[in-house]
Amino acid sequence: MRFPSFAAFLAALLLPLAAPCAPVVTTEHVEAQLVSDVKSAQPGKPLLVGLKLRMADQWHTYWKNPGDSGLPTRIRWELPPGWKAGEIRWPYPTLLPVGPLMNYGYEDDIVLLTTLTPPADAAAGNAGIKAKVEWLVCKDICVPEKGELDLVLPVSAAPPEKDPRFIAHIERAEDMLPVDAKGWSSAAAIVGKTLVVRITAPAGVAPPDKVTFFPEREELIVPAAPEKVAREGQSLQVTMQLADPPLQGVTSVAGVAVTPAGWPGTDGRKALQVAAPMAAALPALAGSIAAGGSAAGGIGGSLAAALAFAFMGGLILNLMPCVFPVLGIKVMGFVEHAHGEPRAMRMQGAVFAAGVLLSFAVLAGTMLALRAGGAQLGWGFQLQSPVVVALLACLFFVLALNLAGVFEWGAFAQSMTSNVGARGRYADAFLSGVLATVVATPCTAPFMGAAVGFTMTQGAGLALAVFLMLGVGMALPVFLLALFPALLKRLPRPGAWMETFKQVLAFPLFATVAWLAWVLGAQAGNDAVLALTMGLVLIGLGAWMYGRWAHAGARWQPALGALLAVAGLAVAWPPAGGAAQGTGALAAHEAGWEAWSPEKVQTLLAQGHPVFVDFTAAWCVTCQVNKRVALHDDAVVKAFAAHGVATLQADWTRQDPRITEALAALGRNAVPVYALYVPGDGAPRLLPEVLTPSIVLAALERVPPPATTVTQR
Amino acid sequence: MKPLAALVLAALPAAVFAFGSAPPGQPAPAFALTDLDGKPARLEDYKGRIVVLEWNNFGCPFVQKHYRSGNMQALQKRYGNDVVWLTVNSTHASSPDYRKPAALQSTLTGFGAHPARYLMDDPGTVGMAYGAKTTPQMVVIDASGKVAYNGAIDDKRSTDLEDVKGAKNYVVAALEEMKAGKPVSTPSTVPYGCSVKYR
Repeated sequence: MRFPSFAAFLAALLLPLAAPCAPVVTTEHVEAQLVSDVKSAQPGKPLLVGLKLRMADQWHTYWKNPGDSGLPTRIRWELPPGWKAGEIRWPYPTLLPVGPLMNYGYEDDIVLLTTLTPPADAAAGNAGIKAKVEWLVCKDICVPEKGELDLVLPVSAAPPEKDPRFIAHIERAEDMLPVDAKGWSSAAAIVGKTLVVRITAPAGVAPPDKVTFFPEREELIVPAAPEKVAREGQSLQVTMQLADPPLQGVTSVAGVAVTPAGWPGTDGRKALQVAAPMAAALPALAGSIAAGGSAAGGIGGSLAAALAFAFMGGLILNLMPCVFPVLGIKVMGFVEHAHGEPRAMRMQGAVFAAGVLLSFAVLAGTMLALRAGGAQLGWGFQLQSPVVVALLACLFFVLALNLAGVFEWGAFAQSMTSNVGARGRYADAFLSGVLATVVATPCTAPFMGAAVGFTMTQGAGLALAVFLMLGVGMALPVFLLALFPALLKRLPRPGAWMETFKQVLAFPLFATVAWLAWVLGAQAGNDAVLALTMGLVLIGLGAWMYGRWAHAGARWQPALGALLAVAGLAVAWPPAGGAAQGTGALAAHEAGWEAWSPEKVQTLLAQGHPVFVDFTAAWCVTCQVNKRVALHDDAVVKAFAAHGVATLQADWTRQDPRITEALAALGRNAVPVYALYVPGDGAPRLLPEVLTPSIVLAALERVPPPATTVTQR
Repeated sequence: MKPLAALVLAALPAAVFAFGSAPPGQPAPAFALTDLDGKPARLEDYKGRIVVLEWNNFGCPFVQKHYRSGNMQALQKRYGNDVVWLTVNSTHASSPDYRKPAALQSTLTGFGAHPARYLMDDPGTVGMAYGAKTTPQMVVIDASGKVAYNGAIDDKRSTDLEDVKGAKNYVVAALEEMKAGKPVSTPSTVPYGCSVKYR
């Protein structure tokens, strides 16, 4: 601070004649001066003039809304004929607590800006600008003061030279003006005895969490009541205490939102201009469109809605390609026993449900614990680990071989469960519950996204409740079948057809193995795939030996078989550092899709392009199905091009904290998520988890056609 | 500044809790204070009468505006028979604006002011109960003991004596409407002035 003022002093010495005259008026508590960053005025061209107020230590003057007491500074301009003055442009204020009251104002020094416009026909010569200024300056007492300030600016047709004495002052004041930032939106509502102002960040931008809101109207809130700031995903919410009695007929809330760290994407400007329209109630966060009969709504932080969504999502999970094969096995097991004792059946159903719920609890508990430890994880996180993927592939391979009839569990299973009868079947039911849950994770059913996303913002207890509700939904159909075996009586009696059906069920499982191998390739590279498949060959060999000789009563062959299977597992185990070699970026393989980054979204939006982001992962089955069915559909591809929509792919196959954060900003914690950003709109539109071409086309219809022909890269 | 602001914010909830509001239509908070002679004064002593409360601090330029122009004294005189005019001073003893009862008495005499009583509220409890934020701030209590008006004295927010002429005086409007048996059309405004000098 010293140096520039010294430089200004030097400059003032060197340019005594050129510098416009701007005398300082000194009152008891304030030094006031009119300043401009230019040395001359150009006819017809607006220029900025600042009222510089330097307050005595600990004294303050006021903002346009002074808060509980005080008075805003007032300027009455006396200008040469034809000159026009605008309103005062107020830099953002600071909070000035006085006892139990709160004021909004300025300490130390401040420059209040006004735009002056000389007439187009202003004659050359000196223009005398006069301002009659009144301010109330307070510390523990208040003193009204006033001053008549002068500024003489020569009028000249030449472009004005900058006045080095005051550039810094004017620039600092301009920097403190509230910025009308592009892409930020806001809304307000009265909730009980509070006023809530919600500010939503543009696409891909995380809003700050330390914000002070200064309303422009005095009678709106209780300034001294502490404001509460909450951040939910893309939005931040400031809750203020309404004035008593509340102001009537408010249609919008204008004000300035100040964050010490600066608003992202505004060159560090600390104050945001807010003009929030008043709504009866604020819309749900992370709002999305419902199209094609499939709803995927934001749930706006309601626990009841999250639980309901989780329950429905769990129910639908049963029909998703991940769980269905496993379910088939389970139902077939029921058929086998359906004509037996109903009580045992019911127990089995209950045990299956217990298996599902326990697995959900373990999965969710692990995820929450890791997340509490700082890890950025979401639904399906375990599939981000190549080891888990490889192990799952081995498990499914063994199950498929079993179904195909290569071997029977036989003696092996019997040795694990002492009683082949009821207890063995219970173990079987429990394990199928576990299995169903494990295989369910690569799938995301409709409704699930919002429910799982909800857990991001909640404590562990509520999050666990939502996950358990997901399990309840998933376990319910099988449980009901077990509870009412009469439903199964319609199925054919067990017989030879069952053997055939069982063998047929092997093939969806083999397909699952093939897909898991592909996932591993994306995560850990080609070598890991070879290791896995070689491991599978060994496991196959072992299973065959076991099956071939176990019933023949041979001794060493089954043992060797089991040993080979273990060796196969060891071979299939992916290398620890393999992740780096993964082919990773799915986008690299697909024409028309580029890799996602938050910066790219912002850049494209800033250039006026709508952006469609596919948050996906190789291990996400739902994602792959949507891609084939909807995103690669010819009509959809053409519609993307016709609307000039840039298509980005965010690949969550491996852990990526940036993607987890972006998902959280959208109120989600699972893939797939499809987000359509339109320039000028605040929050993106979210599409449902299960896509059809018509859903995507309907969403794209809402995108305004490109104003000019888009010249794409 | 920042740690200080954080400290103040942290301390605020307690302060705000104590800070009330006496919105129109609600029963006026009861109080018991002493006047400049040390005699007790309670709101309930004036049951059945219209009461005007005027928050005062002669150190405040906004208060000075209404006394130096003679505006406040004129109001006190004009309504002296119809209402009980209680001037309340909630300035804390630690404030540079604090004056002892004797000094206040001589200032009152000097201005020729005629409140029914001048009440000392240096702990600030009555001011806070009424949500008194500024000096002056005016509260009118109707004969049934309910708040009829709470807010500014008039609509010219300044310290300029000239602004008294031509200003709409909300207290006059409220009292005249009450006299005519009409509901108070502007029962609440945002008060202006110096902050009440609470601790």
